Amino acid sequence: MSEPDPLKILGALERHRVRFVLIGAAAARIAGAPVVTEDVDVTPATDKANLERLAAALKQLRARLRSPSDRSGVPFPLDVDMLRTADLWTLTTSAGDLDICFTPSGTRGYRDLRREALRTRVGPGISVSVASLRDVIRSKEAAGRDKDLAQLPLLRRTLEQIRERKT
Amino acid sequence: MVSGDLLVEARRRAGISQAELGRRSGVPPSLIGRYERYEVIPSLERLRSLLRAAGYELSIRLANVDPSNHDQVLIERELRLTPAERLRRGLMAGRQFGALTARPRRVRA
Repeated sequence: MSEPDPLKILGALERHRVRFVLIGAAAARIAGAPVVTEDVDVTPATDKANLERLAAALKQLRARLRSPSDRSGVPFPLDVDMLRTADLWTLTTSAGDLDICFTPSGTRGYRDLRREALRTRVGPGISVSVASLRDVIRSKEAAGRDKDLAQLPLLRRTLEQIRERKT
Repeated sequence: MVSGDLLVEARRRAGISQAELGRRSGVPPSLIGRYERYEVIPSLERLRSLLRAAGYELSIRLANVDPSNHDQVLIERELRLTPAERLRRGLMAGRQFGALTARPRRVRA
């Protein structure tokens, strides 16, 4: 794998016209929360046409299943039927790690997250839909994993400061 | 998370509309909408009763203030950047963090 560059992943998804919302720590960082992020997490729409575009983008990114025992990942069939068999895909690609989660905890998936998502320029020539900080918090609260709970005070504080700046 | 966000969150979790929350609480739905949009800030007592009408208790606790305001300073610094700059810095920090926590390679003597 070459140098990780999550913007390349987002760019590939955009070029393939995949409808998705950027979620997780990257979305929180874009909102202004000083959190660290190493990969990108996305929630795509689940209609067949979108999954076909997603599969095409993943092929171009040479996506494989992440595996602790094999850093290059495990190949798997990249098609609509396969993508429909799981709600969460933890992948490694030619541009870094990518997590695809169709229904993040505490949400009802793409259509739910899209309501508050904002189209945001995240890099040169790359604009994507980014989940609201409120939805990131909602999802992390529901997930309840230690690493999510540890981030919550900082995310809530960020939301408060954004509110305070607006009032 | 503050008042308007708490109300939206409580309503969503309960799966109810502003109209339904209004019916349960006796507060006009139009006013609930203004609370949620931060056009009006509800009193603590009003907020508590609205959340209760949605099926939730408001839990409040006292915590020590961080005298250095460390988080606040970091957040303010981030908010002065563009979204693209924030993401770029977050990813750079992630890479550095990843390099620090990566398993050391075995080096032949």
